[in-house]
Amino acid sequence: MTLMKSLPTQKLERWKYTNLPARLKKFEREIATAEITFDGLNDLIMPYTNDNPDWVNEITSRSPAGEAQYKDMALWTAANDAPQDGYIIDVPVNYQTGKPLTMIMTGGNAEQVSPRFIIRLARGAELTLIEHQTGEGAYWNNAVMQIEIGDGAIFNHYRFQDNSHDAVMTVNTHAQIARNGQYNAFTLTTGASMSRNQIHADLKGEGAACYLNGVNLLDGKRLGDTTITVEHQAPHCESRQDYRSVVGDQATGVFQGKVHVHQIAQQTDGYQLSNSLLLSQQATMNTKPELEIYADDVKCSHGTTSGMLDKDALFYLQARGIPKAQARALLIQAFISEVTEQITHDDIREQATAIIEKWLTAL
Amino acid sequence: MIKIENLKAEIDGTEILKGLDLTINNGEVHAVMGPNGAGKSTLSYVLAGRDGYEVTAGSAELDGENILEMEAEERAAAGLFLAFQYPVEIPGVQMTTFLKTALNAVRQARGEEELDAIGLLKLMKSTCKNLGISDEMMKRAVNVGFSGGEKKRNEVLQMAMLEPKFAVLDETDSGLDIDALRIVADGVNALRAKERSFLVITHYQRLLDYIKPDYVHVLADGKIIKSGGPELAHELEEKGYAEILSTYEKEAA
Repeated sequence: MTLMKSLPTQKLERWKYTNLPARLKKFEREIATAEITFDGLNDLIMPYTNDNPDWVNEITSRSPAGEAQYKDMALWTAANDAPQDGYIIDVPVNYQTGKPLTMIMTGGNAEQVSPRFIIRLARGAELTLIEHQTGEGAYWNNAVMQIEIGDGAIFNHYRFQDNSHDAVMTVNTHAQIARNGQYNAFTLTTGASMSRNQIHADLKGEGAACYLNGVNLLDGKRLGDTTITVEHQAPHCESRQDYRSVVGDQATGVFQGKVHVHQIAQQTDGYQLSNSLLLSQQATMNTKPELEIYADDVKCSHGTTSGMLDKDALFYLQARGIPKAQARALLIQAFISEVTEQITHDDIREQATAIIEKWLTAL
Repeated sequence: MIKIENLKAEIDGTEILKGLDLTINNGEVHAVMGPNGAGKSTLSYVLAGRDGYEVTAGSAELDGENILEMEAEERAAAGLFLAFQYPVEIPGVQMTTFLKTALNAVRQARGEEELDAIGLLKLMKSTCKNLGISDEMMKRAVNVGFSGGEKKRNEVLQMAMLEPKFAVLDETDSGLDIDALRIVADGVNALRAKERSFLVITHYQRLLDYIKPDYVHVLADGKIIKSGGPELAHELEEKGYAEILSTYEKEAA
């Protein structure tokens, strides 16, 4: 099956708002050519802050497909069919990484890449990973990230999606979280003409938790899609989704968040919030929260808002001498600060702030 | 000096200001009083440059420059300050960030050197102290969770820091109890200076017991229909607006 034919279409409920085949039209030639390979590890830089830990290894051969129980397998399959490259990170038992590990993924013009990452945290381990996506020109990066978080392990995962505005980025993150394990993810989207940030989290053991946060900054004709599924498969688990989207020009934002509470998952605590700010009349935001609950003793809710910049606030700032563009930037920063302020790591928060400021200046 | 001549302005096609004339010399405090719907708030918003008001005729010159052609932020840089009747709450923007951004934007536009964090903090602390504003308030978001009195004191704080040439106080007394009113008025009085002029817009004479004006004007039907000294405010308080209005209407007819 060629990759192009296996692409999900808008007929699929989970792809209702995002027309991937249309966005990938310009890559048709690259995708049809079998020879296209991920040109490799040169584009993947891992500047280790520790001494090149032996638990980080390149993926050298085609890896097994994994046991992912995906609701939509299309891109997963696509990635599996494509040549493989990527990393396996195996954090040993009780290992605490001091400084964050940074991974830079760089895309180049006319490339189609399907990198695969396997990240496993053994019992009691802790890892902070900064995944920085950048690039130049038109390329399609279709990444898969399989995460296994062991008992009591904590994975802090920061993704800065700052790809070229001509690129397409689709990423499948599948996290399995064992007893008392924690997956903390923050995604900042400022790049790509189209991006699909798909997160699937399985809370498999008692007391497991996932905190999924994100800020999506969209301008021009860009589309940013965040699609999340959280499976509460054990009792006493906690999940949070907290997203802010700023949509300008003729851009489109998509947020689909599903929380599935299995019958066994009593005492579930789940909350989902997606707020968006529309900067123009032509901007679109599609939000679809879904709760599917089979247990009877749970706390589970969601909230969503969308609105424009407060004109009174804008005038107030201008009346104090702050130029309009700067006043708008202040109000946008204020809107997203509820999420960015949750980044506890100072250096990482500053990195995020710098990317946000760069986006605001270009707006 | 502010010189307003034949100012006409409308909202959604309805004329609110119908040829207003007013000149305020440096160092003077003028009060504009008037019944509801006379155009008092419109006057303050038109001067400050709020969207939605269309100026159809006239001019407003601040030291010889027509401010009506400027953006709101340019007017602030030129030396105009509006103390809002209803100060706006801005969640997520901390007071210190707000003051620093505003002050440096204005200083930059005026060709002055920007203040660094320490300089700003010093200025902020001393100004806060004079106005009885706690440091804790500066850590909160702009006007969020402030009481009515705190909001108005915050307006005076911003005025003190931005050092305008011409300040418009739009119903600064509304929603204030007598103690809060006194603190706010003291703050304003402390800013009275030779080179600074004030326009105090109010519905009631009460405020003018604390901020004593040099001149009082009556605004009705979009124009100044009567001007006088401070005694005019007392006359209005006693007799209400009805008599002055009916005299004006007879003369107009």
